[in-house]
Amino acid sequence: MSGKRIVIVGASRLGCEFALAARAAGHEVALVDEHPQELKNMSFDAPYFYGSGLPASLSDETAAFDNVLSSNEPLLECVENEVDVKVGVVAWGAFHNAANSQHIGTPKVGVVSREGNELLEYDALVLATGSRDFVPSFKGWELPGVLGGKAATKLLVSYQCFNGSNCLVLGTTSLAVEFARAARERGLDIAGFVEPTSAFRAGQADEAWAREQGIPIHFESVILEASGTDKVSSATVVRLDGEDDKSEVTCDTICVAIAELPNIELPAAMGCGLEFAEAIPAWVPILDANFQTTVPDVYWVSTFNDVDDQVARALAAIDGDESRSAVQQKRTAEGTNPAEYINLWVSKLSETGGTGVILCQCETVTRGEFLDLQPPRYLKSGLRHPHDAVTGGDVGPKISQDLLKRMTRVGMGHCQGKRCRDEAAILLSQRFGVPLKDIKPGSYRFPVRPIDMALIAAEDDDYHTREKWPHWMHEEVVPESVAGSAQR
Amino acid sequence: MNNYDVIVVGSGLLGLSTAYHAQKSGARVLVIDRGSVAYEASSRATGYLSLRADDPDEAPLAGMAEKLWDTLDEELGYPTEWTQKGRLWVAFSDKQVEELKGTYKAFTRADFGFELIDADACRKLIPILSPETRAGLYTPRSGHANPQRVSQAFAWAFQDHGGTILEHTPVYSVIEEAGKVKGVKTKSGDLYAERVVLCAGGYNAKLLEPFGVLFPVATVRLEALVTTPLPPMYEVGFIGLNGLSIRQTRRGNLHANGGPHEWVDVDADSEPNKPNTPIVRNLVRRMIEAFPVAKGAQLLRTWAGVLDITRDQKTIIHRFDHPEGLLVAAGAGHGFGMAPAIGIAMSELTLNGATNAPIKGLGLERFSTLSPNWKAEKQWHAGSYNT
Ligand SMILES: Cc1cc2nc3c(=O)[nH]c(=O)nc-3n(C[C@H](O)[C@H](O)[C@H](O)COP(=O)(O)OP(=O)(O)OC[C@H]3O[C@@H](n4cnc5c(N)ncnc54)[C@H](O)[C@@H]3O)c2cc1C
Repeated sequence: MSGKRIVIVGASRLGCEFALAARAAGHEVALVDEHPQELKNMSFDAPYFYGSGLPASLSDETAAFDNVLSSNEPLLECVENEVDVKVGVVAWGAFHNAANSQHIGTPKVGVVSREGNELLEYDALVLATGSRDFVPSFKGWELPGVLGGKAATKLLVSYQCFNGSNCLVLGTTSLAVEFARAARERGLDIAGFVEPTSAFRAGQADEAWAREQGIPIHFESVILEASGTDKVSSATVVRLDGEDDKSEVTCDTICVAIAELPNIELPAAMGCGLEFAEAIPAWVPILDANFQTTVPDVYWVSTFNDVDDQVARALAAIDGDESRSAVQQKRTAEGTNPAEYINLWVSKLSETGGTGVILCQCETVTRGEFLDLQPPRYLKSGLRHPHDAVTGGDVGPKISQDLLKRMTRVGMGHCQGKRCRDEAAILLSQRFGVPLKDIKPGSYRFPVRPIDMALIAAEDDDYHTREKWPHWMHEEVVPESVAGSAQR
Repeated sequence: MNNYDVIVVGSGLLGLSTAYHAQKSGARVLVIDRGSVAYEASSRATGYLSLRADDPDEAPLAGMAEKLWDTLDEELGYPTEWTQKGRLWVAFSDKQVEELKGTYKAFTRADFGFELIDADACRKLIPILSPETRAGLYTPRSGHANPQRVSQAFAWAFQDHGGTILEHTPVYSVIEEAGKVKGVKTKSGDLYAERVVLCAGGYNAKLLEPFGVLFPVATVRLEALVTTPLPPMYEVGFIGLNGLSIRQTRRGNLHANGGPHEWVDVDADSEPNKPNTPIVRNLVRRMIEAFPVAKGAQLLRTWAGVLDITRDQKTIIHRFDHPEGLLVAAGAGHGFGMAPAIGIAMSELTLNGATNAPIKGLGLERFSTLSPNWKAEKQWHAGSYNT
C-alpha cells in the first residue's frame, strides 16, 4: 500500500465513490465539498444558478449542515470510513511547479472554509467538480423565483429549503423531469413544461408521467418574459410557429432546466489543457486513458466522461498500475445532443426577446450592447467607429471572449461570468457565424468563487515574507550616482 | 515589393502607440503579434502613470506623457478611464517613514511638485487609510487609467486610420541585407518593410542578438488582483511602502499589484505561462492592512503578467545606425504610463530619423560597459525569485 495523500474536490456520486475506493486501497483521503454553501456565496450563483429568491431559512446554518449531510448517503459513508470530509469548504485554487512558476514546492490546493483558509498538499488531486446550470437570458430572468434546474433540485432535495409552490419548467430534459418529480413528491405544483420543439426530450415514459400528472406541455414554444413586481408571478409563453399566440402562465417559480455544463473552472484556472467537446457543447480537460489531465497527478472524473470504470482506472494510475488498456474517451451520453438543444433555445429566445434583454446581470449589459462591443453604461461613452468581435485571421481563434469581456464587462462581474459566459459565446457564434470551437473562451482565474477577503488573507505571512517583501521593482530610487544628467 | 512602410513587432502599448502615430502621419504600418492584441503586460498592468522624478533623463518624457493622457480619450475616440488626481506614497511604520524621506529627496531632482504630508493629510486624500498611517509623499500630478481599455483604444484607433494588425504570428528574426533592414521572418513567412520597430517586450533581446547587441532587459512574472466593487472612495493613485499599489477603478473594484516576482525566460512561439501562486493570499493581507475596509469585499479575480525590466529600470528608446531602419523600445516596468509619449518619440524617430520628444539619455549608449553576465550578477536570471 502506497498511502498517498489524495485530495478529492466534489462530493458528487463519483467523488464519494473515489474517496471510498481510495480509502479501501489505504490512501490518506481528503474530500472537499463547498456545500452547504454560505447564503451570501449562493447569491453569487455559483456553481448553480440559484437566482435572487433564496429562502431566508437557508441562513440557519446548523439546519443546512444537517440537511445537506443527511441527504448524501455516500458522503456519510465516507465519514464512517475515515475519509477526511471537509464540507462547506471551497477549493479556490491549486498550485504546482510549472513553467515560470518554479517555487511552489509540493503541489497544493487552496481551500477556504467559514473560519479561514489553508493549503492542502497532495500526491494526487482528483477533480469531481460536477456540472452547473446553463441558464440563458430572457426578459425578467433577474426576478426572484427564476432559478436553474440543478439549483432547484439541490435546494429541494439537499438543502430542503424551497420558496416556490407553483413552478413553470423550461425544457423537457431529464434534468427538467428530475426536478418536476422531486417537486411533485414534495407536494409542489408544476405549472407546465415549455419546449421549443415538438418532442418531449426526456422521452416517452417521462412525457406519459407528465400527462398523467396533468401537467400542461407547451410544445413549440419559448418563454417571452417573466413578470412580477418583487418576484415572479407569471410567465408569458409564446408559440414559435408564427401565429401571434401568447399565453400567460401563473407561477411563482421558473425552473430553467435546459442543460447542464461541466464545471471546469478549477482545472482550467490551474492550467490543465482543454479541448472543445462539440456535443456538450463545452471545453473540457484533455485526458489520458486514465483520466489524468495534462497537469501531472491531476485527474478529472465526470459524468461527462461516458465511461463506467473511471474511478477504478484513475485509482489504478495513482497506484502506479497502468496496465489497463486505453479507453476511447466519449463525451456525454450517446444519442443526446445538448449542443443542438442549447443552440435552439438561445436562438429562439433572442429572436423572440430581441436585443434589449439583459445578458449580464452583474453589470447590467444587454445582448445588443454586448454584441456591439459598447462600453459599459457607467462610462457614458460610445465608440468613435463601430468595431466587431471578429479579429483573428486564418491562424488562431477568430474571436477572443476575453476581449469582449474587457470591453463590455460581460463576464467581469461578481458572478465571475458563471451566469453569462456560455450564452455570451453562443450569441457571438450565432451573430458572427463563427463556430464555438473557434471562439477562445474567456480565461478562468483563481479564486474560482468570490471569497471574503478576511478569509483568504494569509495567516502564515512569515518574517521573511514580511521583511523582504519587495517594493514595486524599485528596491530603492535611482541612486544619485547613476541618475541621468540631461537636466543638469 | 514592400507591402508596408513600417513593421512593428509586438502589439503591446508601446507597439500600438508607435504604430498609431506612424499610421496617422501617413505611413502604412503593420503590427505583428505572437498572440492576441495587447494580451500581455500592457493589459495586465495596474494602470499608473509613474511620474517618478528620481531620474532627470526620464522625467521630461513622463511630463510629456502626462499632457497626452489628459486628452487621450478625444485623441483616440475610445474611453480610457483616465483620472488625474495625483499619486500618494504612504508609510505605515517608522522604518517606512525614513524610506519615504529618502524617496522625497530623490524626487526633488525634477519638479513634479512632490511634498511630504502628515497622516491626516493622507486621510483627506484616501479616507479609508489604516490608522497605522504615518506619513505620505504626494504629488497632485499624474493619475491612472484602465489598461485593458487603453490598449484596445490604441488598437482600434490605429485600425480606424487604416492600420493592419496581424495576430497569432510569431516573429523569429529581423531580415537584414547590406546594412539595411528588409523586413521580418515570421511563422507565416517573410514580410517586408524598410523600417522595423521592435516592441516585443523581453523578446527584443533575442531579436537583437544576431546584430551583436546586448539588450539589457530581463523578464519577470508579477501577480495582481481585484476585489468585488465597492462604493467610490478615492481616486489618487496609492502606493504603499508595504509593497502594494492599489487603485480604485471607475467601476469600484480595488485593483492591487505587488509582491515577490519570479524571473523568467520568453520564447517566440508560445504565450508565456503566468500562473498565480498562493502569494495572492499575502497580497490580500497587505491590502487589508492598508485599507481595513477591504475586509468587507470579496477577492474576485487574480492574474499575473510578464513584463520586461531594463537593467537600470529606465525606458529605452533607441534607433540603430546599423542596420539602418531598425529601432527598439522598452518600457522598463512602467511602460504603461509612458506609452503615449514613447509612441510619438518612436514614430518620429522611425519616419524622420529625429524627434522633438525629450529622449536624451534614453538610448542604449548608456549600457556600453554592461557586463554580459549582468542578469546573473543582479539575480535577475530565469528561475530566480525575489522575495
Ligand atoms: C502586474 C503589472 C503591473 C504593472 N503596473 C504598471 C503601472 O501601474 N504603470 C506602468 O506604467 N506600467 C506598469 N506595468 C508595466 C507595463 O505593463 C509595461 O511596461 C508595458 O505594458 C510594456 O509595454 P510593451 O508594449 O513593451 O509590452 P507588452 O504589452 O508585453 O507587449 C509586448 C508584445 O510583444 C509580443 N511579442 C513578444 N515576442 C514576440 C515575437 N517574437 N513575435 C511577435 N510578437 C511578440 C507579445 O505577445 C506582446 O503582445 C505593469 C506590469 C504588470 C505585469
